[in-house]
Amino acid sequence: MRALNAFVVASGLIIAAQTIIAQSQTAPDITGSWQRQGFTVGVKPTGQATPAAPAAAPPPPLKPAYLKEWQDRLKVIREAAAKGQPIATNAVACLPDGMPGMMTATFPLEILQSRGQITIIEEAYTQVRRILLDRPQKAVDDIEPGFYGHSVGHWDGDTLVVDTIGVKENVRYQNVPHSKDMRISERMRLVAPDTLWNEITITDPTALEKPWTFTFAYQRMKDYTLLEYICEDNREFSDDQGRQKIRVDPAPR
Amino acid sequence: MARRTGMWSIAVVIAMVAPALAHHSFAVYDHTRTITISGTVTRFQWTNPHGFIEMDVPQSDGSVKHYSVELTSINMMQRVGWRSNMIKPGDKVQVVGAPLLSGEPVALGLEVVLADGKTMGLPVPAIGSFKRSETQ
Repeated sequence: MRALNAFVVASGLIIAAQTIIAQSQTAPDITGSWQRQGFTVGVKPTGQATPAAPAAAPPPPLKPAYLKEWQDRLKVIREAAAKGQPIATNAVACLPDGMPGMMTATFPLEILQSRGQITIIEEAYTQVRRILLDRPQKAVDDIEPGFYGHSVGHWDGDTLVVDTIGVKENVRYQNVPHSKDMRISERMRLVAPDTLWNEITITDPTALEKPWTFTFAYQRMKDYTLLEYICEDNREFSDDQGRQKIRVDPAPR
Repeated sequence: MARRTGMWSIAVVIAMVAPALAHHSFAVYDHTRTITISGTVTRFQWTNPHGFIEMDVPQSDGSVKHYSVELTSINMMQRVGWRSNMIKPGDKVQVVGAPLLSGEPVALGLEVVLADGKTMGLPVPAIGSFKRSETQ
């Protein structure tokens, strides 16, 4: 009986070990620096871009009230810029993009794979998001809203599947309004050894008629280490009309 | 309807690419002309979100006018070869820049001739949208 127990335990351990090995073998190596395909950041990416770039994002399929809010906002932004008095964005206050904006990778991204977690860093504003692997997602009411929300993920074969909720309503990608129920689903996959695609699907039963899907493509930067980025002296500010202004301050500090 | 959708798609593509490239809008600067200023650097500010060159520019009437030259993110500058030690106070430099629409003595730097004569461009997004004037 004791021998049988030992056999069962040993078998269990072998199966568990094989599972871990299998997972580590199937999880592709996406650790390293990446730049958005087609963005010129001054450093040549590694490898060839895949022949076909992903399709451009379609407009967000917003429900009428949200669509009007978005279009009105874009009109105000466009008209203010044409007058040389642009509307101050969050970035003017040195606030980060948050999700999903940081995945546009204005500046390069760094992806780090560690046990139980994948971490993504965006160089601009030193933005950091943590994707907890193989954990259940929380209920949205159990998450304090933030810029990056709460992300859980798992490997589905060669694809990293990530679910993010809990993004603050004032953190708006491309000024698109959303509710607290917005859910960001990502599917990240190497389509070539040095090309990573991230298919992003946003669902929001309150704001969107149907899911909004678009894909970002990134190219590997083998020899690039992310640079420091600190908003140390920001001369831009928002005036009392919400317009972007610059502090003219020649005094040495 | 198809045409409307097409127009929207174009507008959205532009909206989705353009703001992603800069810390903020450069619409506060004049896109129709540039100024060329030569003077003495009082400070080279190597900071994010943007760097600055502070410089005193002698005027034709014998006075000196102080200019602030806004640069891009120092991260972008580093990636195209800029270094923090390339400019120091006292250096004589020449800047081609787009002036601030408000008329204040501020310009967006597009190109800098360093004290050693080397010309360094700035990685300003959509730099081609700034119409260059003849050098004064």
